Parts: sequence; C-alpha cells; structure tokens
Amino acid sequence: MSENKILFNTGSFDEISGEIGNLATIEDSKLKLTPDNADSGLAKLVLTLVELIRKLVEKQAMRRVDGGSLTDEEIERLGETLMKLEMKMDELKKHFNLTDRDLNINLGPLGDLM
Amino acid sequence: MEKLIYAILSQDKNAGRLTSLLSGIKGMSSASLEEVCLDDITVVTSDVNKADIVASKSTALDFARVIETLSQQYTLLPMRFGSVMESAGAIKKMVERNRAEIVQNLRNVEGRYEFGLKIFCDSEKLMAELKEKAGNTITLQAPEPNVSVFRDYVNRKLSEHRLEEMLVHYVDAIIAEITATLTALNAVQKIKKMVSPAMIIDAVFLIEASLKDELVSSIAGLQEKYPSLNLMMTGPWPPYNFVDFTVK
Amino acid sequence: MNDNVIDRSKDITILEVLDRVLNKGVILTGDLVISVADIDLVYVGVKLMLSSVETMEQLKSGKAINPK
Repeated sequence: MSENKILFNTGSFDEISGEIGNLATIEDSKLKLTPDNADSGLAKLVLTLVELIRKLVEKQAMRRVDGGSLTDEEIERLGETLMKLEMKMDELKKHFNLTDRDLNINLGPLGDLM
Repeated sequence: MEKLIYAILSQDKNAGRLTSLLSGIKGMSSASLEEVCLDDITVVTSDVNKADIVASKSTALDFARVIETLSQQYTLLPMRFGSVMESAGAIKKMVERNRAEIVQNLRNVEGRYEFGLKIFCDSEKLMAELKEKAGNTITLQAPEPNVSVFRDYVNRKLSEHRLEEMLVHYVDAIIAEITATLTALNAVQKIKKMVSPAMIIDAVFLIEASLKDELVSSIAGLQEKYPSLNLMMTGPWPPYNFVDFTVK
Repeated sequence: MNDNVIDRSKDITILEVLDRVLNKGVILTGDLVISVADIDLVYVGVKLMLSSVETMEQLKSGKAINPK
C-alpha cells in the first residue's frame, strides 16, 4: 500500500505504531495448545478466566462499598476475602510463570478481557 | 483449483468496464482476476490452490490492494483475507442464498467510505490529571489511620476503582462528543473504548464521501478541545467494518 | 519530513490495512472450533474472528492457510 492513509495525526508516529503493533502481538499469543505447552497453555486459559471473574467480583464489591450500603463488619469480611483471593492468584501466576500480560487474552468481539 | 474471493460488487451496467479494469491488476501471488456473475451481483475472484496459499504480510497486502483499487470505482463488500470457495458454481449458489443480505449491505455502503479514528493518551499523565481533579472534590478515599489490614486493602482498591470510574467517565464524555458530531454528519459509527492503557478510543465511521472534509475539521476541533490527547485519523477505506454478516 | 516519519507512517498504514483485511470484511464461516493436538474438542457457533486468529498465527509462522 503505497499511499498514505493517515489524514490527521498529532501524536508521535513511533509511539502510535508501537501501540498498534503491540496489539497485533497480544492477539497472537492465544489459545494455542500443543503437547509441549499443554500444561501452561491450559493454565493460561484457566487462570485468565479465574482472573477475569476475580476482577469482576472485585469491581462489583467496590461498587457496593462505594454505594454505602455495607456495614463495617461486612466491609472487613469483604476485604479479607478479596485480599486472600488476590494473594492466591499471585501464587498461581508465579507457579505457572505467567505475568498479567500473558493473561490478557483478547477474545475478538469481546475485546480485551481486562 | 479453488476460488479466492476478494469482494462482492453490484454488476456494472457498462459491460466490459470491470473486465478491462481487472485485466490491468494482479491478484494475490500475481494470479489474474476474474468475475463470477449472478444476475446483478458480481464477485471478483482469482484461481488459487488452497493447499498452496501462504499467509504472509505480502499476500495479505496483495489481497487488500485489489480491494482498494476496485473500491475506487465500485461500491463493494470487501471479503476477509483467506475467503476461499470450491468453484464458480459454489460461489453462485452462495450469492443466491445470501442475495438479500448482499443487496442490503451494498445499499448501506453505496457512496460511503470508512474512516478510522484512534485516540491515544499518555495514561500516566492522564491519570495524574484526573487525580488532581478528584483531589479538588475529595472523591478519592483518604488514607485512614489505625485501620485493619483488610480495611486498608479495601480502601486502596476503592481508590483505584474510583480512578477507573473517572477515566471511564472521561472517555464517555469524549465518545458523546464524537457521537454528536457524527450524527450531525449522518454517519454510522462503531466505537471501542479502553482498548489498551494508551488507546482509549478506537472508532470507525461510515460516512458520505463528500463529507470527508467536514469530518476532518470536526476531528481537528475535537483535538483542540483535548490538547493532551493524540488523535489519529485514517482513511478513506473500503467499508471493512460495516459489512458484518457471515455468509450462509 | 524525515525518513523515519515516512517509514513510521507507512508502518501504521500497513498495520491498519492488515487489521482490516485480516479481522474484518465479510466472512465465509463464523464457527469456532477449539482444538488440542489437532483434535477438535470444542465447537462454538459464534460470529467470531477465528479466521483472523488463525491467519495471524500463521502469518507469524509463515505456514499455509487452511480455512475451514
């Protein structure tokens, strides 16, 4: 494509092409399960979904806390559970050698999960 | 030998004009381009050996180039790269089965082009700006002394949550402006938000070709309103994002 | 305009083109099959961008396309 399709741009081209290029790379690292990487492939899939649910639960919890409808004791219990959940996830991630970025699978129409 | 499909067009009343255009361009891997016609619909194809197709940047670009050239003279529905059918006969049957949707989609995109708008932010700077604004209204959770480790955890998460909400509101406000502008220009839009920490908006518009200059100046106006953001507009494109149907 | 800007803007244009031709446009099949070790395991009938996922992966490894 020899013609330039860029009509209007105020940012640095370097940053932008890096950013768009990054997305292409993120898309690559998906559900590709082979005998060699089966363990970490499955782990990635499972942990991504668990992480998604954890984040959604956390978000919902924060909305409740912000809404002011919870008692102090309920907030304490919520804090304890959420904190332990997050610590557990960190352990699992470490165990399978996965970073947050590894877990950010893009499912097409759903967009990035996180 | 199978058929690689590039695009679906309304048949050119001027018989031979399309044929002559096709004879002047090469398809993927230098194959020659052909037409498969059924009544008023023409499908542009090239012969291909499915087993031999190599997916590479250059073959994808070859494919896209054909669509680009055609779109300058014809209203068309671009196919996704790798669209292959067994034969011309199979293609005709496919057109027959999908005729209504094809015709509807061609009508939707006639005389219109697609433009893309991506908006980038410096996420640290933006968060700092938003935090500052929040500081004035004290919506962030203030650090409390003498709380349990669990309550402290909740407080921290609450602050993060409120910052995120502010970001979402900020982006929603921009989207509302874009929407207002585009509605005024009678355009169709599709907007994705928060695609990545830096790309807060990824939008595509379908707009009359004649309104391109208005669109560009509206976007320039938007840029002025948000000096700390980077707006990038591209186009005109064939209507890739506005032909969302799956062939039966 | 120095060369770097021209190269970069070409890069961006190419990325935009590839994003469209690989991920958008009319699709011939909307079914998703998740395979493990070449064994089809999970069938999901959605209008998904499976072909682009496959195409992107194959694009990186340079293998041949095998559209379903």
